Amino acid sequence: MTLSLRSFMRHEAVLGILLVLVLFILAQQSDKFFTTANILNQGRLMTEIGLIALPMTFVIITGGIDLSVGSILGLCAILLGVFWQNLGLPLPAAMALAVCVGALAGLVNGLIITRFKVPPLIATLATLALYRGLAEGISQARSVRGYPEWFFVLGQGEVLGVPTQLWILIVFAIGAAAILGLTTFGRATYAVGANETAARFSGINVDRTKLLIYTASGLVSGIAAVIFVSRVSTTRSDMGTGVELDVITAVVLGGTSIFGGRGTIIGTVVGLILVQALKNGLALSGVKGDGTIVVIGVVLIFAILASNLFSRSGDG
Amino acid sequence: MKTKTILMAAGLVLASSAAYAASWTGGDDLPTNPLACDGTAGEVAAKPYDGGVPTNAPDRNGKKITVVDVPKLIGVGYFSATTKGQAEAAKELGNVDVKTDGPTKANIDEQITFIDNYVTSGVDGILFAANDPVAIAPVLKKALAAGINVVGYDANSTPDARQWFVNQAEFNGVAKSLVDNLAKEIGEDSAFAIVTSTFTTPNQARWIAEMAAYAAKCHPKLEFLETVEAQEDNVLSFNQATTLINKHGDKLKGIVGMTSVATPAAAEAVTQSGLCGKVAVVGLATPNAMKPYVEKDCVKSVVLWNPVDLGYAAMYVLRAAADGTLKPGDTSVKAGKLGDLKVVNGSEILLGAPFVFDKSNIGQFDF
Repeated sequence: MTLSLRSFMRHEAVLGILLVLVLFILAQQSDKFFTTANILNQGRLMTEIGLIALPMTFVIITGGIDLSVGSILGLCAILLGVFWQNLGLPLPAAMALAVCVGALAGLVNGLIITRFKVPPLIATLATLALYRGLAEGISQARSVRGYPEWFFVLGQGEVLGVPTQLWILIVFAIGAAAILGLTTFGRATYAVGANETAARFSGINVDRTKLLIYTASGLVSGIAAVIFVSRVSTTRSDMGTGVELDVITAVVLGGTSIFGGRGTIIGTVVGLILVQALKNGLALSGVKGDGTIVVIGVVLIFAILASNLFSRSGDG
Repeated sequence: MKTKTILMAAGLVLASSAAYAASWTGGDDLPTNPLACDGTAGEVAAKPYDGGVPTNAPDRNGKKITVVDVPKLIGVGYFSATTKGQAEAAKELGNVDVKTDGPTKANIDEQITFIDNYVTSGVDGILFAANDPVAIAPVLKKALAAGINVVGYDANSTPDARQWFVNQAEFNGVAKSLVDNLAKEIGEDSAFAIVTSTFTTPNQARWIAEMAAYAAKCHPKLEFLETVEAQEDNVLSFNQATTLINKHGDKLKGIVGMTSVATPAAAEAVTQSGLCGKVAVVGLATPNAMKPYVEKDCVKSVVLWNPVDLGYAAMYVLRAAADGTLKPGDTSVKAGKLGDLKVVNGSEILLGAPFVFDKSNIGQFDF
């Protein structure tokens, strides 16, 4: 445990240095990059991915994966519109209900994984298709638009000069870091990922832990859906397509091991900021979209190689 | 993926009864305006300017401007052609620096992020082809508020989120052209299916809505079997077309491709199934992609405008808007070699009537 602890501390250190380096270089490339307005705006754009990355950190620490988050986002977005416009519910109730459906979808993932012992990769690959199909079927190809003005506060407004959704992300990130770092539940999460059998023998309720984590993943995807709809002011059934990959990139770049057992929220947040800074900074300095993807790929490989290299030399 | 297909199919069965298809308005709930069956031009009432205006735009008249073009996606022939047209126009104008950048998938969120970053980086003009008319509006309004000239082409946004929109062809005109060609090839008493991008893509949805309205009016016996989604994805389009062929068997007499990706993919599916001449393929596509099928007589007519001209016109319109020579209320705009283009529908600029490529003329085009 101490060894792995040391190695992820190293990863975070590597990542931190990389982030500072990247920020410095990008700030040299464009005078528009390091401005308050741009930084706050980027916070707005990364909130949905950031939110989903928090429970995803837990999921991956347990050695699992949740590929269905983008589809849950799409399903919740559609249902928000359907509950409000087609069923005539008050919008706050529709929002709450859509988030509940997100939690339910996550719970279904958890049940398939724990009760039927289906590997998370396969279970959530199946529900990725299932939830997206539901979203498309329910939406009947119709977009829901014309939300009231107050609803846009969530995705387009600001509180004390900072985008509303960035506050939400900060609160959730602190909450997630506290749960993972300070509570028995957090320790159980690590234990499940490090050695599931050992965790079972030491009296941890492994299934309950997993169920809670996958449910949280669905719930937060639902919240992200509401924010997404508010930000883009319309509902479409293809919302959130491919989000799972951005989320997993941030989490893995943040040092969470895909084999389970290690990872931190702070790492995920740094990984998230690094990817967003690269996307934004490269665009501002005139690099085209396809070039940006290549750079992000290279940084991802470099960050993981570097931390592996350090941890290996530390071991030997 | 199987589950998805099954569920999509389940959803689509609901949506695909002929009665439903005829009443389906493509998800945007706008009224349709089918043209007359014999080809007389439709009457369009003049409408006041309904576009947006950039706030505190600097005087750009005659000055060098930087323009970014953010199409629905990059890496497909269609948008490479519009990019080519823009570059041509920029070269002729001599005072425009234009580049194309955008997502590699037709994804609303990524497109919004691209535009947002270019607003921050401080360009003078933005050209766009929207993946969703409403979702793109907030970021375009942000660009207008930052004093940036905004002009759309190919796929519109809500009018107040941009200054002008260059419309390649009116929706009812394209619909008429497609349905007339289809009816000519498969006969009046036949059934056909449609492969589109996504149901929520604005122009595809409008075309289908107009097709349904025009068919109901002028070819009432044509049967809409179903419309399937295939993104703008080559493999998916091929698979969807193959599925249609297998599912409907002899009943299926024609496939209409609504995108420049779907139409050649449908033609390939028909070729590989050995049904050339039995299942007609009509649709929107670029000539280069369709040449092999047209030459083999597997496809008789391809409907499109010239996307190079579309990009070219969009660039001229943006320059005119930046110069202040194109103002709200104007009825036409000069667009280089294309001459004077008409302003229609308040703030749209019409490129012209749709063009039909066939064996006699397709060889003359290279894009």
